[in-house]
Amino acid sequence: MAVKPECIAMLLAGGQGSRLGILTKKIAKPAVPYGGKYRIIDFPLSNCVNSGIYTVGVLTQYQPLELNDYIGNGQPWDLDRANGGVHILSPYQQIKGTEWYKGTANAIYQNINFIERYDPEYVLILSGDHIYKMDYSKMIDFHKEHNADCTIAMLEVPWEEASRFGLMIVNDDGSIKEFEEKPKNPRSNKASMGVYVFNWKKLRKYLIEDEANENSGNDFGHDLIPAMHENGERMFAYQFDGYWKDVGTINSLWDANLDLLNPKVDLDLTDDSWRIYSRSPAAPPHYIGNNAQVENSMITEGCEIDGSIDFSVLFSNVTVEEGAEVKYSIVMPGTVIKKGAVVQYSIVAENAVIDEGAVVGESPENMKNAEGWGVAVVGNRVHIGKGARVAPDTMVDSDVGGAE
Amino acid sequence: MAAKNVLGIIFSNAYDEALPELTALRTMGSIPFAARYRLIDFPLSNMVNAGIPQVGVITKSNYRSLMDHIGTGKPWDLSRKREGMTLLPPFNNPDTGIAKGRADALYGCISYISNSKKDYVLLTDCNVICNMDYEALIKATEANNADITVAYAKGTPPAIKNATELIIDESGRVTGTSTVDCYSSSVNYSLKIMLIRRTLLERLLHEAHGANIVELETLFANNVKHLRVFGYEEKGFVRVIGSLQNYYDISLELLKLENRKQLFTSESPVYTKVRDQVPAIYGIGAKVSNSLVADGCRIYGEVENSILFRGVTVEKGAKIKDSIIMQDTFIGENSSLECVIIDKAAVVKPGKKLCGASNYPVYIGKGIVI
Repeated sequence: MAVKPECIAMLLAGGQGSRLGILTKKIAKPAVPYGGKYRIIDFPLSNCVNSGIYTVGVLTQYQPLELNDYIGNGQPWDLDRANGGVHILSPYQQIKGTEWYKGTANAIYQNINFIERYDPEYVLILSGDHIYKMDYSKMIDFHKEHNADCTIAMLEVPWEEASRFGLMIVNDDGSIKEFEEKPKNPRSNKASMGVYVFNWKKLRKYLIEDEANENSGNDFGHDLIPAMHENGERMFAYQFDGYWKDVGTINSLWDANLDLLNPKVDLDLTDDSWRIYSRSPAAPPHYIGNNAQVENSMITEGCEIDGSIDFSVLFSNVTVEEGAEVKYSIVMPGTVIKKGAVVQYSIVAENAVIDEGAVVGESPENMKNAEGWGVAVVGNRVHIGKGARVAPDTMVDSDVGGAE
Repeated sequence: MAAKNVLGIIFSNAYDEALPELTALRTMGSIPFAARYRLIDFPLSNMVNAGIPQVGVITKSNYRSLMDHIGTGKPWDLSRKREGMTLLPPFNNPDTGIAKGRADALYGCISYISNSKKDYVLLTDCNVICNMDYEALIKATEANNADITVAYAKGTPPAIKNATELIIDESGRVTGTSTVDCYSSSVNYSLKIMLIRRTLLERLLHEAHGANIVELETLFANNVKHLRVFGYEEKGFVRVIGSLQNYYDISLELLKLENRKQLFTSESPVYTKVRDQVPAIYGIGAKVSNSLVADGCRIYGEVENSILFRGVTVEKGAKIKDSIIMQDTFIGENSSLECVIIDKAAVVKPGKKLCGASNYPVYIGKGIVI
């Protein structure tokens, strides 16, 4: 008999990430490129594999095509397995009709049969929205030690930001006293990371009850977890120390990429013992030309660089021609930045063309009105004409003609 | 005939002796090349890109690194239930022992060849660097109704043992061969890439075994006159590695865009084993020009006209010029390197200086600490 997994992971990857605007027009948020060669979902997937969890259900709903294609059979993460491995779980038709995933809890509810096939002791619920390296096996050990029904990963956030998060007030023994959802005056700075370990039998019961409750929004944070807490189940908070970032907005995506260039930030992707895996294109090594100046940047395979690059992250097959400048920017795969063009404080999506002399974005120091500053975004396959300008804090989703 | 009726055979150990430094611990096929590849990636990718579904890799000695690299053939999409890639370990023939030449080696896996039931067999070595359209080679063979098609290039022959000139008539038919040296110029030299009818190959191998012929070249020369042998000219970027100097020069030729454009195309990519490392990180004060850099490098020093393989670290103040630095090598602070080839996982301690000449690069072996 095949070895029964003790824990399986369910990764919620159906989110649209609407605050990322044109970047998530055709892809789900977990498929958004990050860090030169990754996509956001590589982090939870790699964390699973590195933590010894080899059965992962990926729940997709919004624009799943690219995500399905990217995950494929799971081979890049070593998740192409005879027992377990990665499974894409989309909403499907049932005898009682067709239903979308109404909420995070409902998404798991609709896949109870999938989980039952493996009959695990524990289920790990993850979201595909965050950049972090975490050993889930330690959290599961903590869950066992405390004989918990539900363990929620939490991290201490700066007090001034606490009101943006779901917070927990924790007793001395680590058990959870109270929840506070985005309160105006936070009484705690311990934020939930959206990472949960449940005893499967308990979770199953609550999923069924939650589904039966017509007043429920079928969401883990709003409905199911508070219901468990009210009933006095054993709920614990597991403290995580390390880098964790929700890349839900343009500015946070931009920040999180540039964090990779900051040696003071505690996110080391060079650690061979905790590799982040990704599906990579077959591209040759990158070439740095005679006129290039590259500092404080990350550059990957297939790039041809002859311009100047500073504080930037370049994805595969990006071309930067002589005299072009890229600074404080993220440039996604296949984009071409032509002679004399300037890309600054920007995110340029895939296969765009920034033509000669065009200027994208603006440095905050050069703004007369600091309020108007923000990261400029150029969408997929958009052509920015010769000498054209893209103002800061704008999103460009269609071609911009030349200045002449 | 389509590519699906072709069996590919790659000799991973051929010409090992030409690069004793680099092959001391590995095969010709597993020599690192072009910052992230191994030599076998080129013939293997060419075969896959042409649609050849079955490839046998012949080995002779020191092939652990090769096995580590090619694994089950997954990166080339050759990990299959039917067909796919097969590693062919050396065959110890009861009367002749381990193969001495390529004809001998092929004889050792003759049952693999005949079991493939393919119409043709494509034979190639690993020291030929090119992005060749094998499909066109197969089409030409069909159009000529050839028994054998040999790929060749025009120019100065490579400095390898048994370098062969093809004597070709106006119709493209090969009427004879002669041995040439690397001092002749503008000859049609054989790239030792050969497409041959499978049944004919089997017959010739049996004959060769009986006559104690171990070299493919001898077998070919003996039979060229009474078979339909045609040449196929490769006009793109093609280089044959015949020595360490050669390896060095050809590697640095890839710093030219026109060469890279021919070798690396998006239509026929070169596949290799994925290593899942972060993109290269350039630190404050990094100064890099005219260089090829792979993922996983960390650069804080100066690099000029060089090739850095995956996972190389260049510390602050280090200067690297006209050099090839292989995987995971560490270059310490304020050291200086010029015209050197450093093998995998070596360490150059801070402040050390090494200098070769462009016509005599210094070679530092795997894992050596300086």
